Amino acid sequence: MSAPLSVQISSNILSTKSILPSQAWLTTFLSTQKPNLPLQSLCQTALYRLLASEISTSVQPTPENTFPPNIHDISVPQSLIKGPVVAQIVDVEDIGHSKYSQLEALESAERGEKTKGKEVIRVIPGEADDTDPDNLGLSGVGGPHRLLLEDAKGTRVYGMEFKAIKDVSIGMNIGSKVVLKDVKALRGVLLLEPGNTTLVGGKVEELHKQWREDRKGKLKAAIEAAKAEEDG
Amino acid sequence: MTAVQGHTEEIDFIDRYRKWSDCDPVELFDAQITKNIDKSKQSIADNIQKEARSASVLFIWTDCDREGEYIGTEVRAFALRGNASIEVKRAQFSNIEKSHVIRAANNPKDLDERQALAVAARMELDLRIGAALTRFQSLKLQGRYGLPPDALISYGSCQFPTLGFVVDRYMRVKNFVPETFWYVKLLHTRDQTTTTFNWDRSRLFDRMAVVLLFESCMTGDTALVKGVARKPARKYKPLPLTTVELQKQGSRFLGMNSQRVMKAAESLYTSGFISYPRTETDQYDQTINLQNLIGKQKDDTGNWGWGGYAQGLLNGEFDQPRRGKHNDKAHPPIHPVAYATSSALSDPDKRKVYEFVVRHFLACCSKDALGETTTVNIDYGGEGFHASGLTVIERNYLDVYPWDRWESSQMLPRYQEGERFSPNEVTMQDGKTTAPGYLTEPELIALMDANGIGTDATMAEHIDKIQHREYVFSLSRNAATAPGRGSGRGRGRGRGGRGGLTGARGGDSGGGGGGGGGNNVFVPSNLGVALVEAYDVIASDMSLSRPFLRKEMELNMKRICNGELSKESVVHQSLEQYRDVYAKVSLRIDQFRQTCARYIEANAN
Repeated sequence: MSAPLSVQISSNILSTKSILPSQAWLTTFLSTQKPNLPLQSLCQTALYRLLASEISTSVQPTPENTFPPNIHDISVPQSLIKGPVVAQIVDVEDIGHSKYSQLEALESAERGEKTKGKEVIRVIPGEADDTDPDNLGLSGVGGPHRLLLEDAKGTRVYGMEFKAIKDVSIGMNIGSKVVLKDVKALRGVLLLEPGNTTLVGGKVEELHKQWREDRKGKLKAAIEAAKAEEDG
Repeated sequence: MTAVQGHTEEIDFIDRYRKWSDCDPVELFDAQITKNIDKSKQSIADNIQKEARSASVLFIWTDCDREGEYIGTEVRAFALRGNASIEVKRAQFSNIEKSHVIRAANNPKDLDERQALAVAARMELDLRIGAALTRFQSLKLQGRYGLPPDALISYGSCQFPTLGFVVDRYMRVKNFVPETFWYVKLLHTRDQTTTTFNWDRSRLFDRMAVVLLFESCMTGDTALVKGVARKPARKYKPLPLTTVELQKQGSRFLGMNSQRVMKAAESLYTSGFISYPRTETDQYDQTINLQNLIGKQKDDTGNWGWGGYAQGLLNGEFDQPRRGKHNDKAHPPIHPVAYATSSALSDPDKRKVYEFVVRHFLACCSKDALGETTTVNIDYGGEGFHASGLTVIERNYLDVYPWDRWESSQMLPRYQEGERFSPNEVTMQDGKTTAPGYLTEPELIALMDANGIGTDATMAEHIDKIQHREYVFSLSRNAATAPGRGSGRGRGRGRGGRGGLTGARGGDSGGGGGGGGGNNVFVPSNLGVALVEAYDVIASDMSLSRPFLRKEMELNMKRICNGELSKESVVHQSLEQYRDVYAKVSLRIDQFRQTCARYIEANAN
């Protein structure tokens, strides 16, 4: 006799993606599926749904796959998180470019000028300020980025893109899942690099939509704050 | 042999539409148009008609560009009135050097009807769109917000995008907010030389991240030299000279605005000293005899000071000019055709432009400057830093082209790959971003060029026009201080920065005040800002102050020249687009006025 279907799916996803689905979530998932589907396609559908869902409902927390309880203790200068920890991305910020330049890039993209190449055209190589990325409107491709990550228990931790990771960008999907292994943390901030961070993918639609809607306002608020500081 | 003075005929609406009070401006999109001979030029037309009677062939020698082609068709029309059987040919020439002119005379061609049609389309569009919108916006704003009751608020399909660029930059400067960034800096002294090693991450806008990385790297006690790389470096000589480049460089290097540069260049061309100054070509044809042209400059002794350099090129230092990507198939790059002593050129503008053209040409025929860069990469506590230095080995073209700067930097001390050293100082620093500067003329020309606003022949006119209309003022760079939070600017900028406004190249000569200076910046008037914002607010997707509509029109002109589109379809298509915008703005005229009021009145107080 083989193990129950939910256990088979669970161990499949754990072994291929290092993500342990919660049994409750899997049971609900299976109740919506037609009977007698091949295991392979059930596993694929389950993974797809899992990546598109809130991590707190779909992933089973364990001591290994969540952040250690003392992660926010800033008196610890340095620690190593063995993992593999599963987390979802709830925020991404470009810390290599000023907020003002990011807002400009966003607004010109809204006017449809970026796609027509106008942002590039409007800055002339060889003229003043071509060395300053802030005047190039190139933000969004640049980075490095600061990510806010959330594990299955709801603990949120900052991660810094210590070395450039492919597909980490302002345009990435919010709610997408990552798996972290052997990550160094400095006073509770993770140093992310390609060797310790695997982007599994996915997107939580509501989070993603909300983030996009809020981005402009957040940038504006940050700029207003900088202005107040400047004037004050 | 006789001559014309540019266009002889002008197009205008028939009488019933001429007076502003006689029709709604929107009617001008369809109103009937006639061609009239300019009153002052009637005698020119009569003269050609008369001369044609006793001639069998008409040779047209107008400039070989679109405008010249169109003027050729005018001349042909006058000649045919005098002699219906006259044969019509046009000479194809790109400079007035003797051998070239003789060759052109021996190989006459036909007039290019398509190019003439493109000009006709452009003229009709400029007339209809310009008149309709000029009347519309003048009538809607006259007598309001302190504007005189007869104010002429002109619209031009090139003028407005040009204004738009100026306003766009102005708003960016005005709305700019400085932000703090942080970085780590490492200093090391060896052999009495202190070297600054820059952080590989340059700078970050997140204090927390920099504090953590700084703290972490401070746990390292020594720095490890990861690599010492020596690489050949090369400073490329300039590309062959086009009109747009001449205008840009004239402003940057010669302290003259583009109109003054072009006026001097035209005059040098008519005197036979330089080639035709309106060209898009930045590559030399294989057939051109560069050695011969260089040879004309070799006897210059102490006058300009480049005789010996030219002789050196002939003695083996010569190098083929670089090839750019543009070729207008009509004119070569701008180059000197004959030698002129500086005393032969009466006017200082002409002297400056001639000197620039010759030096640029000699630079094009020279070798690139060569050097070597040394880059030292180090690791300190897991963070990377680097320092680099440049040694210029052969100056080559730089010797004749003083406007390019490329100097050896301070020598780096010797570092060995794999060695370790203790830094003298590692610190966390901060700085603030600085506002961009107001738009300079070279920047404006480059924007117009890239966005298809105007041609090399007309850009300078559009820039002049928006100043004449008082939409834009040209201010000396130093007088134009940024509005508002001025005190916050200019603090350390992290990477060897040029300052925003005041830190620009020193020693600018012809700056001062409004006229003629090339190192000025453009700042819009209240009216200029008001008009741009008003159109932006209402027709954001097809705003008249943005370059898209005009760019498309310009591309369609090229399609007429290629035979892809007819004049009629191009005129129709563009008129429909502008008519749409016109309708939108008419419908929302209250909003248009409110936006204008906001900018004009707010600033008047």
